[in-house]
Amino acid sequence: MSFWFWHGLKKGVRSTHYPREFESAAGVSPGRPVATEFDSAAEAVVAAANCPADAIVARGSAAEVKLERCIYCQHCHYGNSHLLEWHSDYEWTMAVPGRGKYQPLPTAYHRSLHVIVVDAGDCGACLHEVKQLNNPLYNMHRLGIFLTATPRAADVLLVVGPVSENMRVPLLKTYEAMPAPKRILAVGACAINGGVFGRTFMSAGGVASVLPVDLLVPGDPPPPLAILHGLLAVTGRKSPVLQAASSEGNS
Amino acid sequence: MIDPWIGGALALFFILCACGVVLTAATRGVYPLRALLVFSSACSVLMMFASAAALASGHSFAIDLWSLEGWGRFSIRLDMLSAIFLFAAGLVYLPASLFVRNLVEVRFRGRYPMRRYGVLHFALMASVVLILVANDAPLFLISWECMSVLCYFLVNYEQSARTDIRAGYIMLVMSEAGFLAALVAFLILGRGTPDWSFSSLAGMAQHLSGSAVWGVFLLGFLGFGVKAGLVPVNFWLPRSYTAAPAVFVPVFAGVTLNLGFYGILRLDAQLMSNHSVGTGLFALVTGSITALVGILYATTENDLKKMLAHSSIENAGIIVAAVGASLVFHASGHAVAAAIALTAALYHMVNHSVYKTLLFQGVGEVEAATGTREMDRLGGLARLLPGLSVVFLVGCLSISAIPPFNGFVSEWLTLQCLLRSAVLLSSAVKVLFALCGACLALTAALAVTCFVKVYAMSFLGIRRGDWRHGPGQAGRTQFPLAYLAVACLLLGILPTYVIPVLNRAVEPLAGASAAASLVPPFFSATPENQQLPPAFVDDFHNLGAQTGRHVLPGRGLVVLVRGSEKNPVVFAMSTSYSFVALAIFLLVTWFVATRGSRQRSVTRHELWAGGIPRLLPEMTYTATGFSNPVRVVFQAIFRPNIVEDSRETVAVHFRTAILRRRDETHFVDRLLFHPVGEAVGWLARLLAGMHHGRLNAYVAYTLAFLLIILVLFRLS
Repeated sequence: MSFWFWHGLKKGVRSTHYPREFESAAGVSPGRPVATEFDSAAEAVVAAANCPADAIVARGSAAEVKLERCIYCQHCHYGNSHLLEWHSDYEWTMAVPGRGKYQPLPTAYHRSLHVIVVDAGDCGACLHEVKQLNNPLYNMHRLGIFLTATPRAADVLLVVGPVSENMRVPLLKTYEAMPAPKRILAVGACAINGGVFGRTFMSAGGVASVLPVDLLVPGDPPPPLAILHGLLAVTGRKSPVLQAASSEGNS
Repeated sequence: MIDPWIGGALALFFILCACGVVLTAATRGVYPLRALLVFSSACSVLMMFASAAALASGHSFAIDLWSLEGWGRFSIRLDMLSAIFLFAAGLVYLPASLFVRNLVEVRFRGRYPMRRYGVLHFALMASVVLILVANDAPLFLISWECMSVLCYFLVNYEQSARTDIRAGYIMLVMSEAGFLAALVAFLILGRGTPDWSFSSLAGMAQHLSGSAVWGVFLLGFLGFGVKAGLVPVNFWLPRSYTAAPAVFVPVFAGVTLNLGFYGILRLDAQLMSNHSVGTGLFALVTGSITALVGILYATTENDLKKMLAHSSIENAGIIVAAVGASLVFHASGHAVAAAIALTAALYHMVNHSVYKTLLFQGVGEVEAATGTREMDRLGGLARLLPGLSVVFLVGCLSISAIPPFNGFVSEWLTLQCLLRSAVLLSSAVKVLFALCGACLALTAALAVTCFVKVYAMSFLGIRRGDWRHGPGQAGRTQFPLAYLAVACLLLGILPTYVIPVLNRAVEPLAGASAAASLVPPFFSATPENQQLPPAFVDDFHNLGAQTGRHVLPGRGLVVLVRGSEKNPVVFAMSTSYSFVALAIFLLVTWFVATRGSRQRSVTRHELWAGGIPRLLPEMTYTATGFSNPVRVVFQAIFRPNIVEDSRETVAVHFRTAILRRRDETHFVDRLLFHPVGEAVGWLARLLAGMHHGRLNAYVAYTLAFLLIILVLFRLS
């Protein structure tokens, strides 16, 4: 005789209260580097040179961050010198530059959003984080967000991975098979601009090169709450907080 | 008054048959086929006319033919039971005759002599009618033997494969064994009879002892059961149906199968009216097992023709189960319940003839158009043969007992009869009835699975095989198929007009009228009618049971059985009204969907197939895959013998392909015939020890045998 039901009741609600309350438990987010003011312009250049992904740009004595390029190597966080400040939040969904203001889905989708996830050559990290949304802690169903296996029932196309050549046609077919209105959410640095894979003969270098992306969730991989923020931003219940640099995301 | 008409029609029928034989045999070129078409259609119309006249007048037609020394007097008699079977045969023979042209032109032209086929066709037709109208045992048995032999010739007509010839032999052997069993049954029944007419045989049956009744019943049941396709004597059926030419199979399934039921009803229900509960239960249990085994093998079979053959076995099981239920009710004194069960059996028999003929003809067309019968290789036929796909769908819906088509009415009645076992006294019998009812319910459910598979895998989806296809090969005349599809629908939506006709045959057998209790006269209800009190009529009037009373003839459109005060309605249904309701509902839905809403926008995209670049036929759901759950669930019955045949490997442990062969021995063969065969072989090997070839020893055997005989005679 197992008392799992009773144990469950005794433990009470363990799910996060995000977005009603800010979730501050340890480890929910790796944080993100933010623009930091250095003593001199030379130090800012060194800080920018420390970044292998060209995510840090020196402007005067300040080092600015292009989060969509960040691969979370954390050189600027745990390195020896010229470290950047880190924010420990997770609401960093970005609108795509050059596409105007993001038009959220109608209010009917606020509490009923069906998501199809396409693994377009992902290494597994982003997919793993997406999977966490189903677990009791994040529990996206409480927000009316559901995963679906068929594009015919989907409203959001959530893409992870840099769009490998083998997944390009299936991705296009999935998008075509979705009924309007539909939105595309690119999750992870690879889906935004190819990430560590970049643009090669086998990698399209981001979703934006094959489909019109609506919102970006940077991170490599982004934590579950960041993805959840992205999904809420798709419906318009949250708004994208950052703006990507105009040279990125719309190539 | 009606006698000359019936007699004239029958005489004309035999004359036309003779003309048909002569003309097809004597002419050449296109004329044998034309003679076949014209004379065969005329003959089937005459069959329907004679039987319809007899049924409409309610008057049996009887005539003595001639006397033969030692054989007694030959006489023919078209009574109501014969008339029902004759009508069903005519109903099926008409499209089957017309259908000959569709296929003969494709398959037989230049390959086989049409003349021989025509001769066999007309001879079979005449012998079938003779069986049905024979009024004495010799004529009946002689025609039966003719029919068996002619069937053998027709099955072996094409001889396209070696297995076909073997199938023909197996069929011939089984038919002869069945014939002998029936012959012995008649001989036991007629011991010491003055003449061999059915009426005097029925008189003799009254004096039979209990064990003789059992003996005659079993011999007749198994003997005729061979043609009807009952377990355990049906293993010839799927083989020979597959071997038989496509033009003959509809006749095979629609006409000669029924002769088995005719024999069982004639001998075991009519002649032996003093049967016990036990014999009825035997028929019921055999029927239920037959039905279940038949549909199990039908569901897992991928060859269209073989699948339909197994499905024929299933339907035969349902019919015989209903006959068995009727015998049990009759033996325990519930005449009305017996009448209803027998009505269900006859109804199902007619229905099965109609839709099975339709389906077999459809399969014939499919084979002519594509050159294959494998469901795994078909698919997407709806686009190639749109007309055929519609009528085939009607056939599939009918056979899987979906209202408003005809299969529903008879299967529903059969199941309701089995549920009425509550009136029986013995609880053991009730338990058996419940088990058989469960068996038949499972059968009905599997039948739906089976025919969903058949239609979906061959007509829907995408084209799987690389068929040869020439224009005009098939689908030139859809008339025979459309005719049968309409018959399916009419038999389904007008049960209240069909039941009174069947009742004419049922009443003398069961001793009660089924129509009086099954079809209450709602249209002519009067307050004086004691059987139908006004309060009851009022209740049903509010439900709409009297709708159309001033327009339509007949008793009503509701099939209903009334019970006691506590439970006023035992069961009730009306496919007629539900058909009208369904039609209105569909029309309204269509209207609303197309006209009602204006803000619809339809965008069409290509089929969603999981995002794969190109959907290959091999990737789609196959017939094997669809029926695999059934195969797995009932593995205890199928007991497949799976052998890993060959494997292709790149290196020792790197396999690229494995070919698995799956061998199945039929359930009945495995349980019954193989052990018997092994036992006989063992006995023969044992005796073979005596045959060592030494002459002296053989002389010694003879001497010893002689001595034993002498001693025995001396002692006795």
